[in-house]
Amino acid sequence: MDSSNDEALDIIITNVVATFRTRCHLNLRTIALEGTNVIYKPEVGKVLMKLRKPKVTASIWSSGKIICSGATSEDEAKLGARRLARSLQKLGFKVRFSDFKVVNVLAVCSMPFAIHLIDFTKKNRPIASYEPELHPAATYRIKHLKATVQVFSTGSITVTGPNVQSVATAVEQIYPLLFECQKPRYN
Amino acid sequence: MSSRTCRTCGGTDIDVDASRGNAVCMGCGAVLEDNIIVSEVEFVESGGGGSHAVGQFVSGDASGTNPNFGEGYYTGVGKESRAQTLANAKRNISTMGHQLQMNQHCLDTAFNFYKMALNKHMTRGRRSSHVIAACLYLVCRTEGTPHMLLDLSDILQVNVYILGRTFLVLSRELCINAPALDPCLYIPRFAQLLEFGEKNHDVSMTALRLVQRMKRDWMHTGRRPSGLCGAALLVSARMHDFRRTIKEIVAVVKVCESTLRKRLTEFEDTPTSQLTIEQFMRVDLTGECDPPSFTAGLQKKKLHQLELELQKKMDDVEDEIQCYQDEIDTELENCRPKLKGVYAAYAREDGVDNSTSSSEAEVAGDEEEDEELQAVAKHFGKELSELTVEALRELDDRRPAGAAKGGPGEGREEEEDEEEQERGGGGGGGGGRKGPSLESILGPMPTAASLGLPETISRCIGDEKENDGAADSGELDLNGIDDGEIEWYLLNESEVKVKTALWMAENSDYLKEQKEKEAKIAKEKELGIYKEKKRKTPGRRRDPIRASTADEAIEKMLEQKRISSKINYDVLKDLNIRPGASPAHQAPSPAGTPTKKLPSRTRRPTHTPLSLGTPLSTLGKRLQPFITGLPAKKPALDQPPPAAPAVVADPVPSSVVVESGPVVYDDAAGDEDDEEEEEPYVSAMQLMGGGEYGCDGEYDD
Repeated sequence: MDSSNDEALDIIITNVVATFRTRCHLNLRTIALEGTNVIYKPEVGKVLMKLRKPKVTASIWSSGKIICSGATSEDEAKLGARRLARSLQKLGFKVRFSDFKVVNVLAVCSMPFAIHLIDFTKKNRPIASYEPELHPAATYRIKHLKATVQVFSTGSITVTGPNVQSVATAVEQIYPLLFECQKPRYN
Repeated sequence: MSSRTCRTCGGTDIDVDASRGNAVCMGCGAVLEDNIIVSEVEFVESGGGGSHAVGQFVSGDASGTNPNFGEGYYTGVGKESRAQTLANAKRNISTMGHQLQMNQHCLDTAFNFYKMALNKHMTRGRRSSHVIAACLYLVCRTEGTPHMLLDLSDILQVNVYILGRTFLVLSRELCINAPALDPCLYIPRFAQLLEFGEKNHDVSMTALRLVQRMKRDWMHTGRRPSGLCGAALLVSARMHDFRRTIKEIVAVVKVCESTLRKRLTEFEDTPTSQLTIEQFMRVDLTGECDPPSFTAGLQKKKLHQLELELQKKMDDVEDEIQCYQDEIDTELENCRPKLKGVYAAYAREDGVDNSTSSSEAEVAGDEEEDEELQAVAKHFGKELSELTVEALRELDDRRPAGAAKGGPGEGREEEEDEEEQERGGGGGGGGGRKGPSLESILGPMPTAASLGLPETISRCIGDEKENDGAADSGELDLNGIDDGEIEWYLLNESEVKVKTALWMAENSDYLKEQKEKEAKIAKEKELGIYKEKKRKTPGRRRDPIRASTADEAIEKMLEQKRISSKINYDVLKDLNIRPGASPAHQAPSPAGTPTKKLPSRTRRPTHTPLSLGTPLSTLGKRLQPFITGLPAKKPALDQPPPAAPAVVADPVPSSVVVESGPVVYDDAAGDEDDEEEEEPYVSAMQLMGGGEYGCDGEYDD
């Protein structure tokens, strides 16, 4: 529930990163040579494979661990992962789809007001940190949710967390704090 | 020097001569003190002519305990190390601090921070230079000195973000909240570098006012303070008739040209920029502005809204057109003769193909589906490229949904809708949105449709459960995965060949390297010197040797270290345990040992291989009691030799000392047996200190 505000805040999920295992050794050269949309990086030892339908990019290691990123929702991530596994299966590897786990979710949200970062940092001293020389945003880390919120002075915030639920909770938690430190609007 | 009275004459005039170390009474000449202890620094000459002060430096904050050899050895080492670390850190801090022209007070504070960090184990895993830089910067921030992180990174030649990370971690751990950076702090420093001469102060003051104005106009949040300072200084320099180009300012302030320009344009947008110079100096505008990025954001929002409105209008207009089109089409369809049989078969093929392509234009490579799709597209009055599932969905919604859920519609749309639903997060009511858009228009498609409806519903409901189950079992759930589409991701034979050729050409260097590596490994394997992987084995930690006598300790150490490869240590062990019993068993082994020992005892040619095979009677009387005593002790001796040699060791030292010279030739039997047992001790001594005989043997190891 978007408490205490008239308009609903749009939390837009921009990136979902998930990992899974194929439980079998993969020959990266075969994948590189026989797949379309693949980039082989021999120095690092992985293959990047990009799918179009759920627009995801996957890093494939020869141990069978795959990281799939670029999806816009958890279900999409799962679908993309399964597609990936299917295409690997077609290439001839004995692929099994196991240990699918969403590892990171990135969402952006825009407040209807601007925020005074220095005030915000002062009020939330140890949890928030602001280093203008390094990064224009103030970073607020919510430990028990394991989520990080980056607050920009324009009022946009980006939230990263281990799953969509934690991201939503983080936004709800931080909204009142931001509301206190908003910049008064002049026009 | 407290003046004392002379004992003989009672006079108080006492002359203390430091060079002679005497205290002499001037009255009677009695020497009161001799060899006075002086506390002066003495120098000794070192090899090469240099002179060094005598003595050791003791660090002020070290505990001062001397490391004890023996028992407390390890604790002593630990403390020393800490002292060393601190001393190193202090040195580095001073070096860096002086490069930055920081005063001593700051350096001391920085050192305190370092000590705190050390106590919290924060120096582990980080370059010490990074940690020190972070401590220094923390001091700069708390004191408010005009030092930037960039300066520190310049000195260290390290990426400023890495330093920043370390700094943030440090400040978090130490719970020190550095106050936010004020750009006003930097103005004097930059002004200095820009060399304004006498008017330095004026320019600085103007620049300060400008920066304060910028702050009130919310230009400084989220920006590098140096950028703001640069812009302010540029303007104020111009105001005071100094020609400072942007390039000069960039060199001093270390921001990019475009950044400076941006700040200037932003400042231009504020009402303050409209004031003249005099007005600015006198008056301070009360109104404040929104931050520039905020205004930019607002503009974007407005544009976006405009777009949406236009879009809506367009959609409305299109809707009307479509209504008319549909009506016309339905009329036409009713008039058109419906082909069955051949057409139906053809149509069915099309249906399958279309479901493969799932109506997205990108995949439109097949000719057959082209026709179908194009027909559909034309029907909806749009280009093929614009035909997206979303559009279809919209259009579907507009049609009377739910009407005529006729079977034919399902089969075609099944796949697409499943994907839609999955993407939309699993919708309920699988059959709800089956608007008969395409089929009803283009003719009934008798695909395997009647099965579609219940299947889709069950799939939608059971979607989540299936997925979870599949994950656990490791089986790949093919739900919603389009095999045909996947095929697109794989190349066929000829393409593979082409790609292989290309790839080989592209990566020829890398492949060559790999081949060379393999060849090298193969060669090394042949030669037998191939090392699998050079892993730095952290040297095997040996337990501290606990022994009550020096000899015991030596013996134990030898056991562990196995210094000599010529000596068969196992036999030595047996020696101590049971010298007399089972000589037969030990006969072969000692046969080996004497030959091994031979090189070490080159100066003793008359060495009969007696050792253990010889009956005790041949041994000198001296040793008999000791040797016969040993077997009785054997059961108690579960621990290795120590006890036994301890017994033998006591009288041995004396004989060892006696025999340290090559004098042993005459005492053949007894002493040689003695020497057998002493052998370890002797050779240990040789190795540790002596080295008089047996040099050839031992030093081979």
